[in-house]
Amino acid sequence: MGVLDLFRRGPQSVRPKARSSDDLFDDEFQRKLEMLALISRRVFAGRLRADRRSKKKGSGVEFADHRDYAPGDDFRQIDWGIYQRFGKLLVRLYEEEEDLSIYFIVDCSASMAFGNGRKFDQARRLAAALAYVGLANLDRVTIVGVTDQMVSRMPTTRGKGRIFKAFQFLRELEPGGATNLKDALETFVAQHKRRGLAVLISDLYDPAGFEGGINVLRYAKFEPYALHVVDKSDAHPGFKGDVMLYDCETGEERDVTVTPALLERINEAYGDYRSTIERYCVSRQVPYFAADIDMPFDELVLKVFRSGGFLR
Amino acid sequence: MELVGLPLSTLAAIGAGAAALTMLLYVLKLRRRPVAVPFSRLWDSVLRDRESSQLFSRLRRLLSLLLQLCLLGLLLFALGQPEPSAHASDGRHLVLLIDASASMKATDVAPNRLGVAKSEAKKLVQGLGPSDRLLIVELGAVPTPLSNMSGDAAELEPALEKVHASDTRADLERGLEFAADALRGLPNPEIILVSDGALGIPKELPSEVKNAALRYVPVGKSGKNLAITEFSVRRYPLDKSRHEALLEVTNTNDQPVDAELSIYGDGAVIETERLKLGPNERLPRVYPSLGGGGRKLEARVKYSNGQSDDLPADDHAFALLPERRRVRVLLVTTGNTYLEAALLLDEYLDVTMVAPNAYPPRDAFEVTIFDSVAPAPAKHTGSLLYINPPAAGSPVKIGKALEEFGFDTWDKKHPSLRFSAMGDIQVAAGNALVPGEGDQVVGASDEGAILVSGMRQGTRFVALGFDPRRSDFVLRVAWPLFVLGTVQHFVEEDTSYISSFTTGQVWNIPTPAVVESAKLVSPSGAEHVVPVKEGRAAHFGSEAGVYKLVAGDGTAQTAVEFAANLSDLEESKITPQATLSIAGQKTSAPSGFSSGPRREYWIMLLIAAIALSALEWLLYHRRVTV
Repeated sequence: MGVLDLFRRGPQSVRPKARSSDDLFDDEFQRKLEMLALISRRVFAGRLRADRRSKKKGSGVEFADHRDYAPGDDFRQIDWGIYQRFGKLLVRLYEEEEDLSIYFIVDCSASMAFGNGRKFDQARRLAAALAYVGLANLDRVTIVGVTDQMVSRMPTTRGKGRIFKAFQFLRELEPGGATNLKDALETFVAQHKRRGLAVLISDLYDPAGFEGGINVLRYAKFEPYALHVVDKSDAHPGFKGDVMLYDCETGEERDVTVTPALLERINEAYGDYRSTIERYCVSRQVPYFAADIDMPFDELVLKVFRSGGFLR
Repeated sequence: MELVGLPLSTLAAIGAGAAALTMLLYVLKLRRRPVAVPFSRLWDSVLRDRESSQLFSRLRRLLSLLLQLCLLGLLLFALGQPEPSAHASDGRHLVLLIDASASMKATDVAPNRLGVAKSEAKKLVQGLGPSDRLLIVELGAVPTPLSNMSGDAAELEPALEKVHASDTRADLERGLEFAADALRGLPNPEIILVSDGALGIPKELPSEVKNAALRYVPVGKSGKNLAITEFSVRRYPLDKSRHEALLEVTNTNDQPVDAELSIYGDGAVIETERLKLGPNERLPRVYPSLGGGGRKLEARVKYSNGQSDDLPADDHAFALLPERRRVRVLLVTTGNTYLEAALLLDEYLDVTMVAPNAYPPRDAFEVTIFDSVAPAPAKHTGSLLYINPPAAGSPVKIGKALEEFGFDTWDKKHPSLRFSAMGDIQVAAGNALVPGEGDQVVGASDEGAILVSGMRQGTRFVALGFDPRRSDFVLRVAWPLFVLGTVQHFVEEDTSYISSFTTGQVWNIPTPAVVESAKLVSPSGAEHVVPVKEGRAAHFGSEAGVYKLVAGDGTAQTAVEFAANLSDLEESKITPQATLSIAGQKTSAPSGFSSGPRREYWIMLLIAAIALSALEWLLYHRRVTV
């Protein structure tokens, strides 16, 4: 920073360096998608999912797999035999015999592009990977981009061969604008009458509160899935001294003297915020997964599978 | 505590300006660096809690301001150079006279007395009070100031290194007068003499000196010395290949000593002798008929047992014999055996004899002797000696005829008659001479002048009023002495030649050429340009040894050498004086000089300011004061 910058008044632009499309969904990425699809087939085995903790019950009663017990799960589904043998609480999973609509709601607000845009890239990769799995299992997949409104939509599609259409849609998404999940998802709900799994991929930095958006989905009988994109550097800003803070979405300014003690408290506040989100989701039986952008996307996807809520 | 640096009013003005600037910098806020955050609500929740700590934050900012103001105050205080009131009010004005006479070369203390004197003087300089001012003066034959009157040790200590001992006696009276002049009108005057006390003590103090306190720092511990206090040589007039030397060796101790005296000619020993000297004895020695060697003579004395005395500077002395050169003499005569015989005695005379009608010859001469003739003198035949001149052509008027007369009066110091007994000479007949204006009557009978010297048209002459063959003058030793003395007088090779000068005096050195200034090369190799007046170069000599005087330029350049010696019995008495009284006023030891490093309070203040600055830097980078 030069000396003149000290006297420059306005906030500086923080436009992310856009990753080229070829880097985002390259051959290596696509190979990993295939591997993830194969893993998911162990669950689907060419049939439609069943017994998802969905309001819309299917007729399938065939046992498919186990998953870790999560608070809020039905005690009746706990496999007590396994608990007796291994001391681990696992829940039995059953296949559903009906196709499913999966909606991927990607947050395109400016905060997703903060830093180097890694949150936004990771969100798009996760959306692509999960969409591929859904398409490969003949689910009806829809992808939408939201900010404080629904900014774009990929029409509902089905079949693995349509993944490139999804890639193209995700490539064309541009970050920017403020976040208002409640307003944006109200539009989404109004436009999509067919209920299904709604995967919200976002950093959940919503000045109006992250709860509004999730509640809109819940009240509209969707099955919300919160995929929280987490960048730890948000809790560790690399500056000190007298600064003028401004919000990258709202432009709200504030003069602050940043000290090591204050940074420590910011870190704590960030942790509290994440805990609040997780507690909220669990209490509402909304599957929640924190996707750290420092982890490889394939590992993240596998963890999503294991944590349940997406695959059964 | 008083401020001896910038005055309080100036400090106040500077302080007010600097404090205002500092306050302004604290009041003005720099534009803050804009920084983006992804979600400002996170910061809001934290900063809400911080609102309560704003007061403390402001206090910390105030602490930073106070630190800066303290720093500024310390710097201002340092500029004021605070000193304890006792120091500030006791400022003395001192003149430090450092004895630089020959006796200070004595080696009874290591490295020598002057070295110890410098060390003592250095202690005094380092012990000066903050308000003391000191002037360093080298006390030789002439007092020489070497510094300004200053309290700065960094200026005074280098001046001490410039003090060098000379081969002269110190003139304490002039030194005290100089010190009194320097201290006139100044408060708390003091004169400090650092010396061995072996110097001429004035009988009366200059009136201005009486107002100043006299301090004395003694140097030296013993005074064992053997000295050559006189040394002079001359050539024999009739045998210039031989010479004689006059020496005086002095034992300044209270014990008898055995000494060995040696005389060297151009570095080779030509005479040596063992001497026994009683307590404080001055032993004159004459060495006649010294031969061999060269022009440059050196006498050295030492103890027979090989020990050395405390002052080597007076253990040797130098002398130079006059130059031996051939003189061309023209004798115009019809024949005079006595005259010819007298001229034959000096082998350095090239005598040419011509008949009167052959005068003037073509060749040039330095001296011409007219025997009973007086032709018109030619310019190139030099000075003139008239023997029984006829009235026609004589430079002096020929007076009445005289019979049966002699030298009733004569000038014993005139070079023509020096060392001669003229009273018994009987003359049968001759003429009185009538001297002209400016002429000198060298010899006269009761009837009139018979020997006259003078100058005509730039040419010197001597005229004798009778024919020596008509007297018993030619049968006496005085005759050849008269002839040869007159010739040597004409060619400036007389017995008034000075074989060595004495240091500490103004020398008038005969120059070999007609010039207005000449170059003088001292024994140490230093070169000086000296003025020449009436054929003599004037120089104040302070160094013993052999000098070289060079006059003229290019091919006309000529040079002469001469010697200079300490030859000062008083300076050779080097017994140090533990106490000193000057004109009845007893001196005391210096006081009020603190040992150890000087307390410069402003340095401590500066260090404190730097420490505060470092603390402020640390606090800033630890974000304590921001």
